[in-house]
Amino acid sequence: MTSAGEAITTPRRTTARVRRWHISEHKLAPLVLVTPALLVIVGLRIVPLILGAQYSLTGDGARNGMFVGLGNYRALAGDPVFRTAIKNVGLLFVALPVAVAVPGILATFLFLKVPGHRFYRSVYFFPVVLSPVIIGAIFNILLSYDGPLNQGLGKLGIGPVDWLGNSHVAIFSVIGVHIWATFGMALVIFMAGFSTLDQSLLDAARCDGANLPQTIRHVVVPELSRTIQFVFVTTMIGMLTGMFGLVYVMTAGGPGGATYLPEFYVWVTQGQMNSPALASAASMVLFVLMLVVGLAQIRLIKRVTKEV
Amino acid sequence: MSTASTRTPKRRWVAAALVSALAGATCLATAACGAAAPQSQAGGGTAEQAQKLVVWDWHSGDASTKAYYDKAKSDFEAKHPGVQVDFVAQPYDQYYTLLGTAIQAGKGPDIAMFNGGAQMRERATSLLPLDDKTADLKDRLVGWDAFKDAGTTYAVPITLQGFPFYYNKAVYKKAGLDPETPPKTLAELQTDCAAIKKSGNVCFNLGNKEGIGIEFFLSGFAPGVFSPAQYDAWLAGKRDWKSPEVKQIFDLWKQTNDDGWYNKGVNSTAMFNDQFTMFSGGKGGNVIGLISDTAHWKSFDEFLGPDLGVYQAPILNPANVSKTFLPAEGGIGYGVMKWTKSPDLAVDLIKSLAGTDAEKQFFEKAGAIAADKTIDTSTVDVKAAGQIVSWLPDSKPLLHTALSAKTLDLMHRLSQQLISGDVTVDAALTQLAASDK
Repeated sequence: MTSAGEAITTPRRTTARVRRWHISEHKLAPLVLVTPALLVIVGLRIVPLILGAQYSLTGDGARNGMFVGLGNYRALAGDPVFRTAIKNVGLLFVALPVAVAVPGILATFLFLKVPGHRFYRSVYFFPVVLSPVIIGAIFNILLSYDGPLNQGLGKLGIGPVDWLGNSHVAIFSVIGVHIWATFGMALVIFMAGFSTLDQSLLDAARCDGANLPQTIRHVVVPELSRTIQFVFVTTMIGMLTGMFGLVYVMTAGGPGGATYLPEFYVWVTQGQMNSPALASAASMVLFVLMLVVGLAQIRLIKRVTKEV
Repeated sequence: MSTASTRTPKRRWVAAALVSALAGATCLATAACGAAAPQSQAGGGTAEQAQKLVVWDWHSGDASTKAYYDKAKSDFEAKHPGVQVDFVAQPYDQYYTLLGTAIQAGKGPDIAMFNGGAQMRERATSLLPLDDKTADLKDRLVGWDAFKDAGTTYAVPITLQGFPFYYNKAVYKKAGLDPETPPKTLAELQTDCAAIKKSGNVCFNLGNKEGIGIEFFLSGFAPGVFSPAQYDAWLAGKRDWKSPEVKQIFDLWKQTNDDGWYNKGVNSTAMFNDQFTMFSGGKGGNVIGLISDTAHWKSFDEFLGPDLGVYQAPILNPANVSKTFLPAEGGIGYGVMKWTKSPDLAVDLIKSLAGTDAEKQFFEKAGAIAADKTIDTSTVDVKAAGQIVSWLPDSKPLLHTALSAKTLDLMHRLSQQLISGDVTVDAALTQLAASDK
């Protein structure tokens, strides 16, 4: 026989248990749904990342597998080639506005439906489908010392430039070719952004007497802020991780290591120098760099494109 | 509608599965975190797998080496019927990257092809020592030093590598020079280069996009600069980067470029194959070429025919040198990877790959000067090939292959910076001395 007090408390406990399970059910369902994706991400992304981070703390050669702490990172800091690679990342920053402005401006022209815009759209996108190796090979010919560009310059009375063999020029040549080869994708993204523009805002701006620059500044840019953010971040990441093919084919990192980028450094260190742990450390630096750059850009662009 | 109580066991199962999966992934990461790259044998295998040998190289896909590989394979299969041999040709520019990945994973081919020198020495810890298994090859083959690390042999030489000076007799003739008298001293070389330049050709074809032009220059010219004692000391690891002789070679590297000996834009011209294509196309008087698997007498003979000539390094430093020689050593060779399940079978396959009949095919069809000194080379009627073979007994190993991969990489970059004027010879030698400690 139970007391009155027990009779009251027992149902309360049951209710609480049911409620707890009820909450768990809601929490569990999405987890179950995302499990396959989660497993793929953990297995193919997070685990290799952790392995890479761990491996970067071990030694190479005779010290293979030994814990060396931050030794590899100290070696990177003291390596002038890696410092050049990081310095070149700075150059990529400088080139970034150009890499975004070129497709942005061209997309604006296409949006304004300049004559032949359909043809231009295809032509601008065309290099995106070409392999970097093919593009590199084409530009190797165009930019060679006795190539068509220098011959053209010669006819204008300008002396030949060693576009890929001059240590002060080569990195700009490679970056220029990269921008040429990849701006088509950013252009498509901009075009997609333009298609979401609120026409009524443009009409309102026109009615209010806004000229083109004012319309762009106060309507187009704020409206496209998310697109611009996206293009900035993806273009930067593309520059940091997608230039290997071009560097490999066009300059092989030279002359004198002047065109090294972190990604190329990782490849040379692992493949040519047989130092995978040092290469892992370099790739961890590249990972952190991309993370910081991506987050900083999102923050910065958000502030810049926010209409006051 | 089901109640909470009826769904509970299923939810528990799902939750348990989810937690197990995540825990498994975490455990995998954690367990792997403690593991370094495998150092010894990896993985198990069945008996059938043990009867298969996989060989990595960068040649078995070439038509010119087909006869060589066919001969080696048939020889091995006759001795070991039932054992399957797979030759896997990898692209050369990716070869050591792929092999490096295999080494880190502890899995890969049973046998791998190597360049002699730094490329093999850097990976010696992944190879089986072969001294006690290859005694029967020692006398027949030459070039072993390039495949030794700390006195232990890790690979068997198949071809020799060396840097003779090839020249185009037609270009010499056009410049008013005697095509049968190549330069023997620096003064003669300078005179010849001035005449060739005046005739509208470049004196030397050079491509230094990869920075390896300096390797050819250093090892190619050194026999005419270093005294025999200095040369031997360098090979023994006693290298004086500040010596007048080393400085002389690096000064010459820069000076010859400044004097216009080479085609324009050397830092953006690839050595393989632009430099050698230019020479084959008659667009240069001289080139420092190879005797191993590419850019050698046979490939030049195809285009230049009787206009092809060859000579040894000129004497640049008469105070040290009275007679020069061909710098040559083991070129490419095969080593047995540590993880192979059948080391004895692998060694036997290498012996077939180094067999006289197979090597003869490599020499005659592909043009590589073989490491087998018993091969009759008189069957080839290209004069340059005969001259090269006749110089081999006096040859000494190459200077640059004695350096580590790290120092070589630095030297590649410095060679480009010297040409572009971004570094002085003294500063370059200081950096090299620091790297080569």
